[in-house]
Amino acid sequence: MSEQPLKIMVIDDENIVGKRLKPALEKTGDIVETFVDGETALARFEQEPFDIVVTDIRMEKIDGIEILEQILAKSGRTKVIIITGYATVEIAREALSKGAFDFIAKPFKPADLRVIIERATKELRS
Amino acid sequence: MSIIIISSDAMEIEETIAEKVAEAMGYSRLGHQILADVAAKYQIDPVKLNEAMETTPSLFKNLSARQWRHYLACVEAEVYDYLLADNIVCWGLAAHLYVTGISHVMKVRVLSGNSRGTMEIAEQKGISLQVVEKLRAGELQQRKKWSLAAYNYDETDLSRYDLVINLDQIDPEEAVKTITGAIEYRKFQVMTYSMKCLSNLALSARVNVTLLKSMADINVQARDGSVVVSTKASARQKRKKIATIKELAGNVDGVSYVEVHVKKNILEETA
Repeated sequence: MSEQPLKIMVIDDENIVGKRLKPALEKTGDIVETFVDGETALARFEQEPFDIVVTDIRMEKIDGIEILEQILAKSGRTKVIIITGYATVEIAREALSKGAFDFIAKPFKPADLRVIIERATKELRS
Repeated sequence: MSIIIISSDAMEIEETIAEKVAEAMGYSRLGHQILADVAAKYQIDPVKLNEAMETTPSLFKNLSARQWRHYLACVEAEVYDYLLADNIVCWGLAAHLYVTGISHVMKVRVLSGNSRGTMEIAEQKGISLQVVEKLRAGELQQRKKWSLAAYNYDETDLSRYDLVINLDQIDPEEAVKTITGAIEYRKFQVMTYSMKCLSNLALSARVNVTLLKSMADINVQARDGSVVVSTKASARQKRKKIATIKELAGNVDGVSYVEVHVKKNILEETA
């Protein structure tokens, strides 16, 4: 029996990131929704929780760390993966301390993110 | 899945604490014992390699600046290879000075303390407290000079460490517990970003050691198999140097692309 597809949310204010990641992540049959701002994404999450959230850090109004905190407060089982073009040791450690599942610096290949999502999927299904 | 790098103002204490932490955590040990392997691998005189880890280049010691840089690069390359394996306690290899920007590396500085440390060393060596204090002050000054010359990093600057423990206030057993407790913090766990940074540093070190064998004034930055080498050359030698670097660096395992940036070497131009 095949397993239920995972619901993945991608949040990045650069539209191109969501456009590139959506088809790459959908290849394995998972359902992917993309957002260009944190407010709309959190409102959507309020309606229905997602299994995996991939979020940028530097965004206007709500940043990725705040999204991480709000998502985990609503759904402890959701795996939040942080992506950023401004990676530093301090930000990476802060993200992990606050419960991020993983942290990856941009630019990355969709395949690199796929590896992280596979690990998250294993944990979700174990 | 983490790395602990321990350094101290007293070598004996650094090793004792590091050994105990490794035992308590069940981590692998990476200490100065590997210097013999490094010397054998890179065909370096082991006595000279040990000397390079403690002193700066000098005509009197028959150690040129280029040789010194090459010896240090050999140690770095070997240390990075070990660190890629993870779950390691490292000490005595100056790794706290060059393993930078890796979030799953916890750097610990253990201060031997004025009373306890001095007394222990005096007992171990059978000498007076005053002699120990004088020796330690000299050693500390020498280490500071070495760390600044080698990595432009003052190892006595405590703001560069994640955790500082003063053995005057904390017992060695408590220090071990503090270190093993702190490494459990989630922030020190390995992540995709930190592992990639470490792999990039390891590749930079492998290219660096290859190039420093035959040339000086090299700066290497690697990212995902792409390597950028910055160097200096006279207008006459520029083309030849670029070709040599591309050939040498291109043959290093893991390198897929090499870019060379050359600045004018004014000294050679005017010579």
